[in-house]
Amino acid sequence: MKTLALFVVVITGAMLIYAGQDLPAFGDINSPSYQAPMTQYFIENSETESGVTNIVTALLASYRGYDTLGETAVIFTAGMAVMLLLRRRER
Amino acid sequence: MSGIIDVVYAEYNYWIYVTLMMIGFYAMIAKKNLIKKIIGANIFQTAIFLFYISLADVTGGTAPILVGGHGGEHAEHVEHAAEVIYTNPVPHCLILTAIVVAVSTTAVALALIIRIYNEYGSIEEDVILAARRELQPEFSEHARQKGVAEVGEQ
Repeated sequence: MKTLALFVVVITGAMLIYAGQDLPAFGDINSPSYQAPMTQYFIENSETESGVTNIVTALLASYRGYDTLGETAVIFTAGMAVMLLLRRRER
Repeated sequence: MSGIIDVVYAEYNYWIYVTLMMIGFYAMIAKKNLIKKIIGANIFQTAIFLFYISLADVTGGTAPILVGGHGGEHAEHVEHAAEVIYTNPVPHCLILTAIVVAVSTTAVALALIIRIYNEYGSIEEDVILAARRELQPEFSEHARQKGVAEVGEQ
């Protein structure tokens, strides 16, 4: 069982390393994710559009506000699930 | 030999994230202890976080907070902010959301393990399965025929 698990893990890791050879190098300024128009737009315009100097905060709370609202729903659901699972049963 | 070292060093962040992810993956599928499985899942998730954050890095870049943005008297310096190199803010934002989801799933999984421990008195996988077979002798046959999930509901 442990040998099989080790085999699967090594094969998966080798596949991921092989796929990673095509990804951009560490810290490359010409990587597609950094040169994308969306990223450049956020860096240039987030201060004038939302008035927040921290770009991550502007993204999280302004551009992706509905996503953050859904995130609070995730926390609420997790809290309810934990309360329902751990509540004392009165029989 | 130096060729291999150069290949590893050029993209060492990918090697680190793959190593961490496979440690977590091995713990998830090879360990019998349920708590250790959850710890493995957490290591797996942390490897993904590192992968995204390392993708966001730019050599010579600063944190994505506008230089000179704070304070009223320095507000004119924001005009020159386009000349400063910032790291990519989008993966940081994605990972902030992913961290919250990871904490939530870990909390629910640990609560489920507490319930399992109260029912069976153990968190070892094989002990739980043996106790189940003892309670329901038909469990293994049913599991083969109808699937484990259906039997678990009865």
